[in-house]
Amino acid sequence: MTLLPWLVTAWLFGIGIYGIVTSRDYVHIIGSLSVCQSSTYVLLLSIGFRWHSGPPIFYEHPPGTASVDPVVHALVLTDIVVGAAVTALLLVIALQVHKRCGTTDPQQLRPLRHTK
Amino acid sequence: MTARWRLGLLIAAMLALAPAVWAVVTALPPFGSPTAAYGQVVNRLLPHLRTVSNMVAAVNFDVRGLDTLGEESMLLCAVTGAVVLLRGSRGEDRAEHAGRVPGRATIERDDASIVVCRIGAPILLAFSAYVALHGTVTPGGGFQAGAIAVSALLLVYLGDGYARWRSRVPHPLMAFIEGLGALLFVLCAALPLAWSVPALTSLLPTGKWKDLYSGGLMVPVNIGVALAVLGGFAVLVAEFMEETRTPESDPVPDEEDA
Repeated sequence: MTLLPWLVTAWLFGIGIYGIVTSRDYVHIIGSLSVCQSSTYVLLLSIGFRWHSGPPIFYEHPPGTASVDPVVHALVLTDIVVGAAVTALLLVIALQVHKRCGTTDPQQLRPLRHTK
Repeated sequence: MTARWRLGLLIAAMLALAPAVWAVVTALPPFGSPTAAYGQVVNRLLPHLRTVSNMVAAVNFDVRGLDTLGEESMLLCAVTGAVVLLRGSRGEDRAEHAGRVPGRATIERDDASIVVCRIGAPILLAFSAYVALHGTVTPGGGFQAGAIAVSALLLVYLGDGYARWRSRVPHPLMAFIEGLGALLFVLCAALPLAWSVPALTSLLPTGKWKDLYSGGLMVPVNIGVALAVLGGFAVLVAEFMEETRTPESDPVPDEEDA
C-alpha cells in the first residue's frame, strides 16, 4: 500500500512516454505530454499527504491541528495553470505545422525540408 | 527510424531504467508520513505571522511569492508566444465581423440552453470574484478564480455563439486585463524594494485572521493573479477562435455561428 502512489506515478509517466513515442499525431503527443505531467501531480500530492490530517486551511480547525503539507499543494496549483498555458502554446505550434505542411503526423515531416 | 524501432528502443530504455525507478520507489518515505519539514513549519508559524488561514495561498503569494512571480511570467510568456504564433499572418488588425468556420453548419441553439448559459455565466463570474476575494481565508485564490472566470466567459460563447461572444468579451480588454494583472503582481513585488525591505514584504496592515481582509499584501497579489489568469486564457481562446475562422465578406446580420 505504501508503494502504490509511487508506482502509479511511474506508471502514469511511463504510459505518457509510450504515447509520445508511438504517436502518429501532434495533438496526441500533446495529450500524452499532459499525462506525463499529471504523474507529477500524483507524486507531489502523495508526497505531502499525512495520515489523520486535515487540509492546510485553518478555518474550521485551529492552527496547530495536524494537516498535510501546503507547499506541494501550492506547487500543483501553479503547475496546473502554467501547464494549461503551455499546452495551448504547443497546440498553436501543432496548428502552424498543419498549416505549413498539411499534416500533423510526425512521421510525415522530414527535418529541414523546405516547404513553401 | 521506423515506428517499430522506436518502440523497441523505448522498451529497452524502460527495462534499463526499471531498476533505478524501483530503487527510487522503495527509497521514498512511506506514503502518509512525509519527512519534509518545510510545510509543517509553514503550518505552525504562518497563521500567526501572516494572520491568514489558507496556508496554500500563504505559500503561493507570500513565502514563495517570488517563485509564483516566475510562474506568472511563464504564463505570460506562453500566452504571448501563442498569440504571436497565431496572429502570424493576420497581424494586429481585427476583422470587423466575426468569421466563420468554412463548411460548418450553423446550428440553431435551443432556447433552454441559451437561458441556462445566460443565467449561469453571471453566477459563475460572481463565484469567481468570491473565490478570488476569499483566497487567503478559504480554499481558492487567484489561479482558481481566473480559471472559473474564463469558464463563465465560455458559457457566453456556448449560449450565444461566437459573433456575440466577440462583441461582449472585447479582445483588447482581455489583453489589457492580463497585462494589468501581471503588472499588479510585479508592482507588489517591486514596490517594497523602494522602502529598502525585501521584495513582496507586506507593508499593508495585516488584517484580522479569518476575515475577508487578511494577509496584507497577499490580497492585491491574489487579485493580480486572478486578473492575469482570466485575461491570459481569454486571449488564448479568442486567438484560437480567430485563427480557425475565415473572415466573411458579407456576414449575415445577427448570425449565430457555432
